[in-house]
Amino acid sequence: MSLKNVLAVALGILSAIGGFVDIGDLVFNTQAGATFGYQLLWVVVVGVIGIIVYSEMCGRVAAVAKRPVFDLVRERAGFGAGLGTLIASQVVNLMTCAAEVGGVAICLQLLSGLPYRLLIPLAVAALALACWVLPFEWIERVFGYLGLGLLVFAVAAIKLHPDWGRVAHGFVPGHHVGGSLMVYLYFVVGLLGAAMTPYEVYFYSSGAVEDGWGLEELGLNKVTSMIGYGLGGFLSFALMIVAGTLFLPQNIDPQFLGTPPLASADALGQVGLLLALVGILFAVGGAAIETCFSGAYNTAQFFGWRWGKREGHAAASRFTLAWVVIFALAFLVVMTGYDPVKLTEYSVIFSVVALPLTYLPILLIANDRTYMGSNVNGKLANVLGVVYFVVIIAIALAAIPLMLLTNGGQG
Amino acid sequence: MSKPVEVDIALGILDHQLVDSEGVNCGKVDDLELTGLDGGSPEVAEIIVGGNAWRSRGLLGRLAAHLSGDAVHVPWSEVESVSSVVKLKRPAAELRLNRGDPRWARLVERVPGS
Repeated sequence: MSLKNVLAVALGILSAIGGFVDIGDLVFNTQAGATFGYQLLWVVVVGVIGIIVYSEMCGRVAAVAKRPVFDLVRERAGFGAGLGTLIASQVVNLMTCAAEVGGVAICLQLLSGLPYRLLIPLAVAALALACWVLPFEWIERVFGYLGLGLLVFAVAAIKLHPDWGRVAHGFVPGHHVGGSLMVYLYFVVGLLGAAMTPYEVYFYSSGAVEDGWGLEELGLNKVTSMIGYGLGGFLSFALMIVAGTLFLPQNIDPQFLGTPPLASADALGQVGLLLALVGILFAVGGAAIETCFSGAYNTAQFFGWRWGKREGHAAASRFTLAWVVIFALAFLVVMTGYDPVKLTEYSVIFSVVALPLTYLPILLIANDRTYMGSNVNGKLANVLGVVYFVVIIAIALAAIPLMLLTNGGQG
Repeated sequence: MSKPVEVDIALGILDHQLVDSEGVNCGKVDDLELTGLDGGSPEVAEIIVGGNAWRSRGLLGRLAAHLSGDAVHVPWSEVESVSSVVKLKRPAAELRLNRGDPRWARLVERVPGS
């Protein structure tokens, strides 16, 4: 591998790490840590392996057959079920996008002190402008790299001197202490949902097609999905460890997005606070763009339109209007004043319900030789793919009952 | 003539991406019209794209068809090849496909930097 290639791979990994955490991970990891300490760390491992398995699969399909996820959904589910999946995924994407936009506005508020309502239109305008003027790879990189500010949570986790024995214990599933079983299970579902949100595979596979991936990118696909998402998972560990060390003993319930950065401030002072806020701002802002684009990608792919930033705004005008409209709708949702953290919880739980219909077509096509030739799933990918599909079905069935039974994790 | 390849119409053609001679996406194979089903040799006559082609595609399809216009019929003789996409022999505009993008482009072009 040449130096240039190594650099490209490293840059891709860095943006994958920065792009891994979104508002769903922030909310669920810190709330899980504040409620159950380190006991749910194992769930993050399960979730991260799940997203690696399926993003590697859909990246491979994109590189070999040049087909993004919603083409596969349409081809395998047909028009009716495909349209049902499209509508469900659009509702979830819109909720997620709105939650992320709200998160951006909260970060801007904490950084500037200006009123939240004033900052919502500013946040949407800035994000839409970035989408309009920046080329695709720049969007990925700018938000991915600046999102690396979140690494400050890893430093904070170490500086807070957690009981590492108990942290290690959290990686082993078992009996939980404190809180009810239902709430524990609710967090299991929420953490898995936050790690495996469907928009990540929509965006990852469409991005791979946008970047013109071919057979020579199969290695890049493996490395980016495994190392990028794997290291991204470390940020989730860090968030949970920080919350478990600082918030649980003091009975702090992180109901505000501004709470996690305070943990970083506690460990690292003002610089820590600033880095955490900038990290969250760009991680959540990048996720807002990803969810919004996912919505436009899915619609265009379902109906067979031209799509992608490379096509040019006017040439792919329906695709362009689709993402503009999604931003506009997200703006209206956030302007209602509904709490972005609550919105995040709903969006993650509902996204779990939409997971099976997204992941099944990927699994089927990744095994189809007419698409994949010799690059069909190997044994490992299939065993993991099937095991995770069973897990996904189980959490999809449990998600909404658990949310209702626990009143959204409140017990 | 090239070697015959077995293609499953339902899995390998229906709902697949249409791509024109210039490599541009131009809709999906929303429905197919078959002829010769009454004893003759069955043949795919036309690809039906968009609008009321969705009528036959379940409850949501009927609803979607109500909300949109007429379908475009593309004779099978316009098909160049079938792989994971259905590739056509001519540019989309000549087959009356992909008319939505030029229509909306007028609106998008008003924004600076487009």
